[in-house]
Amino acid sequence: MSLKDFIKDKIFLTLLLLFGIATIEIFLIPYPFGSFVKMYIPLIIMFLYFLGLLIEYFTKRRFYKGLYNILDDLDEKYLITEIIKTPSFIEGTILKSLLEQINKSMVENVNKYKFKQEDYKEYIELWIHEVKIPIAASKMIIENNKNSTTKSIDEELTKVENYIEQALFYARSSAVEKDYYIKKILLKDIVNDSIKKNKNSLIHEKVSINIHDLETEVNTDSKWVGFILGQVIQNSIKYKKQESNLEIEIYSKKGKENVILYIKDNGIGIKKEEIAKVFDKGFTGTNGRLVGKKSTGIGLYLCKNLCNKLGTKIELNSVQGKGTEIQIIFPKGSYIDMK
Amino acid sequence: MQKILIVEDDEKLRSELEIFLSNNGYKVESLKTFNNTINDILAINPNLILLDINLPGVDGEYICKEIRKQSNMGIIVVTSRDSEIDELISINYGADHYITKPFNIQILLAKINSLLRRTSNSGIKDKIDVKDFILNISNSTIEKDGKIIELTKNEYKILKYLIENKGKIVSREDIMVSLWESESFIDDNTLSVNITRLRAKLEEINLKNIIETKRGQGYILKGDC
Repeated sequence: MSLKDFIKDKIFLTLLLLFGIATIEIFLIPYPFGSFVKMYIPLIIMFLYFLGLLIEYFTKRRFYKGLYNILDDLDEKYLITEIIKTPSFIEGTILKSLLEQINKSMVENVNKYKFKQEDYKEYIELWIHEVKIPIAASKMIIENNKNSTTKSIDEELTKVENYIEQALFYARSSAVEKDYYIKKILLKDIVNDSIKKNKNSLIHEKVSINIHDLETEVNTDSKWVGFILGQVIQNSIKYKKQESNLEIEIYSKKGKENVILYIKDNGIGIKKEEIAKVFDKGFTGTNGRLVGKKSTGIGLYLCKNLCNKLGTKIELNSVQGKGTEIQIIFPKGSYIDMK
Repeated sequence: MQKILIVEDDEKLRSELEIFLSNNGYKVESLKTFNNTINDILAINPNLILLDINLPGVDGEYICKEIRKQSNMGIIVVTSRDSEIDELISINYGADHYITKPFNIQILLAKINSLLRRTSNSGIKDKIDVKDFILNISNSTIEKDGKIIELTKNEYKILKYLIENKGKIVSREDIMVSLWESESFIDDNTLSVNITRLRAKLEEINLKNIIETKRGQGYILKGDC
């Protein structure tokens, strides 16, 4: 609120006052008062009026400026009503009470959707737990009746399992509540688990695994990071070169500010102009449209989403025809010992 | 024979597990009603239970806790809940292992085996006698007529897997799966190299051709040759 704007706002009142003073002066013309009185009356009125205006200006300016300052500092701006003091002037109190009412109604509205989403997420999780039982039963039936047909069904079931896992993490990633559990974990354990989980397809595709330098501890949710690794490994298998064997190298480097987990492959790589979009939801790119790839554009989007929630970063470098490298960056805060 | 009790409400899964475990040499029983689960389990008194914690009407975690109070039997929780919190609760209540559905059946079997080995008082065997030679588990060496040969980690694992499947053909893929399971992520070429070295070592103790190649199928460790 600048002084100019404020005066502009008061222009009508000022004009009325000036008109009043002018009429008083006109009335006074026939009377024999000295010129001192004739000068004093308008001056004192004008002086008091402008003094009043100035006081009002500074009171209001302090309030509104404070409001803007608080707003700038707040991450969640709607919390402003909880912080501001009730102002001494009437427009301020009206504004505050209006803000409070609007806010309350908006919070109610947002909560309605929060509950709905939470409800939906719970349903998805329940459904996923239910559907895992017949899958487990089917796998047992396959185990008890091993032949080439059931082996082939087993491979398809594994795909179903992967899709289900993706759905579960999708539901978790969009949850409002924190749904992870941070604890100290050795990178080697998470990496080994993910490789073991995908061992059938890795062995089937004759993949060479090279893991080293993974004796580093990070504070994170092992299930989430395990899922992310799984997605990355499955991508490597999906986009391997036809003509040569796939090699996957996994290692970590400890930096000053972070621990970086590298997952490198020698697959078909990604076009330079598409790299920036790989984490976008639904982006499939040139590779995704290759015959038989069936890309959904969800995997990496989900990885990025989960990483954001965990406070971890994920980055991708790739050279088309050479391979792809994924970096999962655990910031220092997430591996420092909290003692 | 050691007795395993299955506490699982999904009928299909239960019956298939029964078949699988009895095929693997265990005496298997299972609960079909869950009205008096804790007492039923204690009455049957198995060496190990596979416990689903999502049972109709009862809280599996509570069962786990109560059983642990009264018995030292092995408890493996098998569930479709896969959050860390659930796992933590079960382990804190005394479960020995926590496996999520759909589980890898070989891992389940391995966990059952190792748990039973520990809970029963038989102690851990540190030698496997294969008649032709002895495999020392404690220091991964093979021994024949007083001659001792050291094996590398992978050679030992391969030989042990062949011994466990003695007389049966095992495919290269089977061997690799078992190696990967114990976190030796070797590739096809490395497997060939390891097998060649293992054969050479076996030859040193006059056991030539004990590992036979079945073309297109895999390998077989000949028994009683």
